Amino acid sequence: MGYRVGVDVGGTFTDLLCVTPEGEVLLDKAPSTTEDQSVGVMNGLAQLAERVDLPLEEFCSQLEIVVHGTTVGDNTMIEMNGAETGLLVSKGHRDEIELRRGFKEEIWDPAFPAPAAIARRRARIPIPERLNYEGDVIEALDEEAVRRGVRRLEKLGVRSIAVMFLFSFVNPEHERRAAEIILEEFPDVERISLSHEVMPRGPEYERVSTTLVNAYIAPKIAKYINHLQTQLRTAGYAGQLLVMQSTGGVMPPDYVSRRAVSTLASGPTGGVMGAALAAGRAGVSDFVAMDMGGTSFDVCLVRDDRPEIKTDWIWRYRYYIGLPMVDVQSVGAGGGSIAYVDQGTLLVGPESAGSQPGPVCYGRGGTRPTVTDADVVLGYLPADGFAAGRMSLDIDGARKAIARDVGDPLGVDVIEAARGIARIVNANMANETRRILASHGADPAELSLIAYGGNGAVHAWAIAQELGIHRVLIPKGAPAFSALGVLVADYVIDQVRSYVAPLSHVNPQRLIDLRSALVGEVRREFEPAGLSDDLIDVDLYLQMCYQGQNFDMSIPLADGSGFDEDEMAELGELFHQHHEADRGFCFREQEPLVRGMRVVARGHTPKPDRFAELGTESDAESARIGTRTAYFGPEGLDVPVYDGSLLGVGAEIAGPALVQEPFTVVVLPPESTARVDADGNYVVEI
Amino acid sequence: MRADLEALAKPRPPLTDGVEIDPVVAEVIRGGMETICFEMAVYVSRTATTPLLNQSNERNASILDANGRCAAVSVGIPQLMLASALPVRFAIEHFGDDMHPGDVYLANDPYHGGGHLPDYNVFAPVFADGRRVLMASIQCHHGDTGGSVPGGYNVSVNNIWGEGLRVPAMKVVDAGVERTDVLEMMAVNNRQPGHMGDLRSQIGSAQLGAERLGQILERFGAETVEAAVDYFIDSTGRRFRDEVRGWPDGTYTAEVFGDHDPWGNPDIRINVAVTVDDGRLVVDFTGTDDRDELQAWSSYGNTRAYSIAQVACITSPKIPKNEGFFESIEVIVPEGCVLNPPYGKPVSAGTHHPGTEVGEAIALALQAVAPERAVPQVYKTGIPTIMTGEDPRTGLPFTDHSAETHAGWCTAAAGMDAWGAQNASFGNLWKATTEINESLYPHLQLDRDYRIDSGGPGQWRGLCGAHYIKRTLVPCEIYTYVVGMKYPMPGVAGGGDGAPNKLTLRYGSDDPFVVQHTADRVPMEAGQSFNFDYGGGGGWGDALDRDPTAVLDDVLDEYVSVEGAERDYGVVLTGSLEDLTLEIDEDATAALREERRNGQGEQG
Repeated sequence: MGYRVGVDVGGTFTDLLCVTPEGEVLLDKAPSTTEDQSVGVMNGLAQLAERVDLPLEEFCSQLEIVVHGTTVGDNTMIEMNGAETGLLVSKGHRDEIELRRGFKEEIWDPAFPAPAAIARRRARIPIPERLNYEGDVIEALDEEAVRRGVRRLEKLGVRSIAVMFLFSFVNPEHERRAAEIILEEFPDVERISLSHEVMPRGPEYERVSTTLVNAYIAPKIAKYINHLQTQLRTAGYAGQLLVMQSTGGVMPPDYVSRRAVSTLASGPTGGVMGAALAAGRAGVSDFVAMDMGGTSFDVCLVRDDRPEIKTDWIWRYRYYIGLPMVDVQSVGAGGGSIAYVDQGTLLVGPESAGSQPGPVCYGRGGTRPTVTDADVVLGYLPADGFAAGRMSLDIDGARKAIARDVGDPLGVDVIEAARGIARIVNANMANETRRILASHGADPAELSLIAYGGNGAVHAWAIAQELGIHRVLIPKGAPAFSALGVLVADYVIDQVRSYVAPLSHVNPQRLIDLRSALVGEVRREFEPAGLSDDLIDVDLYLQMCYQGQNFDMSIPLADGSGFDEDEMAELGELFHQHHEADRGFCFREQEPLVRGMRVVARGHTPKPDRFAELGTESDAESARIGTRTAYFGPEGLDVPVYDGSLLGVGAEIAGPALVQEPFTVVVLPPESTARVDADGNYVVEI
Repeated sequence: MRADLEALAKPRPPLTDGVEIDPVVAEVIRGGMETICFEMAVYVSRTATTPLLNQSNERNASILDANGRCAAVSVGIPQLMLASALPVRFAIEHFGDDMHPGDVYLANDPYHGGGHLPDYNVFAPVFADGRRVLMASIQCHHGDTGGSVPGGYNVSVNNIWGEGLRVPAMKVVDAGVERTDVLEMMAVNNRQPGHMGDLRSQIGSAQLGAERLGQILERFGAETVEAAVDYFIDSTGRRFRDEVRGWPDGTYTAEVFGDHDPWGNPDIRINVAVTVDDGRLVVDFTGTDDRDELQAWSSYGNTRAYSIAQVACITSPKIPKNEGFFESIEVIVPEGCVLNPPYGKPVSAGTHHPGTEVGEAIALALQAVAPERAVPQVYKTGIPTIMTGEDPRTGLPFTDHSAETHAGWCTAAAGMDAWGAQNASFGNLWKATTEINESLYPHLQLDRDYRIDSGGPGQWRGLCGAHYIKRTLVPCEIYTYVVGMKYPMPGVAGGGDGAPNKLTLRYGSDDPFVVQHTADRVPMEAGQSFNFDYGGGGGWGDALDRDPTAVLDDVLDEYVSVEGAERDYGVVLTGSLEDLTLEIDEDATAALREERRNGQGEQG
């Protein structure tokens, strides 16, 4: 056994979590380096090496595994600075990417801007060719048109080419042939993204959008991962680099480079996977995972230990991503969210002061009051000893800004104004959480809350009260939780391939072929991981819906089905039952429509025994370090303050109280209690 | 039998006489109500049984107060969300004190405040301290509503009774107990097997809304909630009036026409005079067509909803949508004209036409005061191109509504070329795709690309309409009615019109059929196609003011041809598109634009 390291690159910090061969857990943070994220990663590894008293080379050679969550793809989409991209597309469908099935994000604004183009119309080349829905060739591929088109794209400066032909997921021959021709005409092309490989299912808008995003970000991601691998090799690491995907699972670089789009939005996913593991150990199976950082608030519903996976209606950076993803929703609410008064109404966010200039109290030049400024004025955050003692907070600056921008316009004192900011942001986060739960039909009163991120521990109590949630879990390692999640994630392949037919018209051989293709591909992709068979689970599902529905349901398939008439009838009945359980009704008189097969393959990775280092004081009084005035209502209370790093298993604290951790504060309101459990979670009862 | 619709639409008094409220609490309550609307709408998406409701977002939730003022809405279809108040107000008057906790009501009748018969409004009162405080209301468009043809759009009758079942306001749940007699009656008057599922979903949604509102009332107390509703309706009204005060006072008029009704009666005229008076808006449709022989009429509720929706797109999108907004707009429609029909006229198809012409007319009138955003948020489709035949795979008849994505009628705004497929206000609908529909119906979708030069020229360019070519694989018949040929989508603020619609059946054969107004079951053979050249959107501003480099880009992207650049924009290009050597001839362009401007001046 060697060292195992999870690295997650965030906007401000690169978080690292290292499990030593002895099972010790080390948390660390290094500043993120936006220009080249690998610099921050290597700096972080050097910090860890120092912590275990090894030279970097020695440490690297003793690394068993490095698991990585990267935001290179997200940053590329935020800044829209990906590769020059072109598209070859079935004639007559050149404009799907602009038509977007009619969808626009803002229905009241005729001047709402168009999304920035990945491939402008001139770089979308219509190609005469056509298959029907069964994959039969209606019109042969016009190879000469492909050649002309590729030459034109090269002339336009294109470096990355996407190909999307109708029904290519049924019969990929035309797309494959086009790829050959591209390489003949344009051998230096950086990357070819074939739609049937990136997203092997219909319909066409979803597929062309996903394929174009892949083409746009893949060159950067591939370059970055190669670069990082080279540096790790040079530093002496001989093992495998694994990369986090938005499915909540990891895969080797080769797989990820081919499906670059699967790394999009993988950042928040790491935290959810960490939360799921921590909650599982604490015996909590159904909960809301809530990550409140500096600029965003990420929420995910977890039921039966499994985060909800979304397979449809996934929009990121104004493009549709048709791959299964852990359903984490982000809203602009965080410590840096700016408070202001507009026509007598107090509003908080979504505009954020971010980490630069940051809240007023950071003293880095921020002048507009933020949620963190309210938190320090209300006494939740300490003036001194913030961020592991490296920072003090300017309370006076925060008070002045809040009085000027919020108190005076509303005609209230500074405490009332700060309470207003906190109440508005908490209500916003609670409302957002309710919306997410509503779309899954879940009731918050039946769930627990797991809060992490730099500000999760400060606000969790209030959000829980808004939602009527009574139990809150705050993991010790909360501020660097996504690095833990990255480290403990399993290998995951989650893919859907289309085959559309009414249930009674299904061709059994097509399903059998589809199944062996999917299973074969999973085996192939898992091979480099060197996992033994008993560590791999493969689940297959038939995707079904009623005619006219846009969204499929996954119906589990038994092993070795021959898809004969009886089995198909059984699957139909199962679909009706699932539909009734999930949606509350079914139509037994209506024939279900088969829309494809889905494979979910999971390769299990080892999990650490615990997630954080604990103190030894089981009597909280010995960890008490003082008293501070904090506000849980209009009147200030003298509230005891504890040093969280001293608290050991079993320590109990009654609210009101403040527990100071190196990177956050656990805020306990009156009439709440908290207990430190064996894994280092604060279990808060409200 | 009709209600006094204009009286129902009149502004209603606040709930309290100025009770003090903490603005933070008011904002928390407002956010909570919007979330409840969202939860109610999502409940329908999750539990409704027909695709119209669980897939394509044709539903909307709203919360009203005891006086029938709209406190919060979810984002759905604008016209639907804005037609929710009048039926509730009618019910409040009709039932008076005979509304009780646990009740749920249903209404759809256009002559009692509804939009048209397929739009069912289901609502539940919420009580606290022994009085009715709020109303949770959910509106859904149903795929059938009885009547003599399926689907709810019967353009062959000249009266409302032929269109379907009318419900002014009716109790469907009595103090928590479902009225099985009433629901059974609803079931037998509807063809859709999923209808009861949809109705129960809608009832469940209203009950969920009432339950969640009850929690808010319990937490904050009825008086605080009432004061909050007054507070945010009042502050919204102030925001609206502040914005409108920025417009010069005066009366601004427009006259627009619809090509014809489904029976071919031509030139349906809509007149509007919009008066801006110190922050208030009066929208007056006096002078609008009132020919008795017409078939298409827009109900008063529908006319009012289109009016408000269009104004909402012209004012800042940030102003909340509640009664403070709505009551600042007075809508005057003389009874008897096509926008407030004489009792008994059919109104189903009127949600399309003359409904959309309402938005078009208001936008054109307001060009005079708010040209930047005075963009019609409407469409110019008569009804969909319906293809019927027998599917050889199943031996069963099929009906294909040609609901696949296509571009049309999307007009530019100041600073923004039109983009996408349709206007912003329809952005919440999710259109069908080729790869799914070809699996379901025996056809091939051969083309739906933008048509070059079909977008209205302007400083900001209107969106091109689509070529929409569909080949049938079996013998079939086409049923449709087409508008927007004689009166295409107009340009705004000096921009050019979009190209007109044109539908050709048996396209490319030696026996083509160009639709004049109606195609009444026109046959096509297997292998034949129809081509719908959908109309373009209007341009915004003078095309001669468009940046020549933007015109060059449009030519490179083939939204505009080289000839079109010169003809429509006065931009002269040299070189070749094929070889990517196009360049602007600056001198020739300047000279041509100068000459055109002078020419424009002379013309007047």
